[in-house]
Amino acid sequence: MSNDEARLANFVLLGALLLMMAGCASSPQHAEHLARPDWTFPGDARITERAILTARGKEYPLNGFLACSQTGGLRLVVTESFGQVLADVLVNPEGHVFVMRSSRILRPGWIRRYVARDLQCIFAHPPLADPSVTMPETNHFVIQRPWYSLDLRVVQVEPGPQPGNRFDPNRREAP
Amino acid sequence: MRHNARATNGAASAVRGLFLETHCGKRLKLLSQVLFVSMFFFRAVAAESGLTTVTNPQPILDDLQRKMSSVTSVFLEFTQERHYQALSDAPFTSEGVMLIDRPDQIRWETTSPFQSILLGNQKSVAQFEFENGKWKKLDLGLPEMLQRVMQQMALMNQGKLDALTADYNVSVATNSSFTILTLIPKDANVRSLLPSLEIRMLPDLSATKEVVMHENGTDFTRIIFRNEVRGVKFPAGTFDQSKPLDLAAIKAAVNHAP
Repeated sequence: MSNDEARLANFVLLGALLLMMAGCASSPQHAEHLARPDWTFPGDARITERAILTARGKEYPLNGFLACSQTGGLRLVVTESFGQVLADVLVNPEGHVFVMRSSRILRPGWIRRYVARDLQCIFAHPPLADPSVTMPETNHFVIQRPWYSLDLRVVQVEPGPQPGNRFDPNRREAP
Repeated sequence: MRHNARATNGAASAVRGLFLETHCGKRLKLLSQVLFVSMFFFRAVAAESGLTTVTNPQPILDDLQRKMSSVTSVFLEFTQERHYQALSDAPFTSEGVMLIDRPDQIRWETTSPFQSILLGNQKSVAQFEFENGKWKKLDLGLPEMLQRVMQQMALMNQGKLDALTADYNVSVATNSSFTILTLIPKDANVRSLLPSLEIRMLPDLSATKEVVMHENGTDFTRIIFRNEVRGVKFPAGTFDQSKPLDLAAIKAAVNHAP
């Protein structure tokens, strides 16, 4: 594989993920809460997501696997459709972001800046405010931007306590 | 505000890259390789008890290709387990079916916890998502990449591993339960993402039981196949890329296969 090929591989999927995350990063409103119907997720749970990213008329399916704790910790693994991990990010109860795992496709800086913010926009308790994020129905979120949209559905919720070490930033693989 | 502007510019730049550079067919090869490997490949042969590495795997590969050459079609149900140890002790699972009809038709359908159909042949690929009570055809980005993945899946199903040796080193190990084919990407960059892929077959090579893909570290994906039916005459519309036949109708035909 040439350097150009590697760069393209990184760039394409990075771009897709970047698009997915950029909306939350572009208009943060930390002090306000998102106005939308109350969600029904339990505080302690494993959650599986299916998302379709649309950009310039083309659509890209993505998967997300999330562990969330009653104390406010969030741990998200983002994969492409066939399971390849693109990012593993932790937001601890204090709101600090830790990149637990990165990939050639999604580098630590991008995960910290965009993936984590997107995560907080939809799944934090309470979520960060963003007028571009709507919830048309329970467990269904839409992020609409001028240049892209993200249609995210929570497809499985498994309530149950999550071990504290899931949210321990010291248990980290090398980015 | 400066941070926000940077974010917006970065996103716009990425969009341009996403849609301008992907026209380079040669470069898509890498992406398709990564996805192909991620679908099928795994490590861990050495850790399994009683496994004996076959010094010369070629006779087994030839035998596999010979046996698979007579298979005109196959229907498989699968459970896909995604093991992310840092996130959960138990795997995240999904269920689905895989259908292959020679010479080149493939249908990969996830039925739970979400519904999605991926259809491919040598000429084109299509994906459908079940939303709001109906199937929606996606206007897929990077269709060439998925098409290549599907083509390689067809080669695998036909036992044509020789066709893959340009990109992978293939080795074989056996024990009383499995014959395990291990494919290791030759390219170091691809290998750094996904070290290897295992295909676990019955000892007589009559059926594929599992495919395991190990990533670096402790994460891996396992696809467990069951209820394999060969020689199915799939009903019209099974591989229709405009309006695929509902799975229930296909299963009815499969259940009546001789």
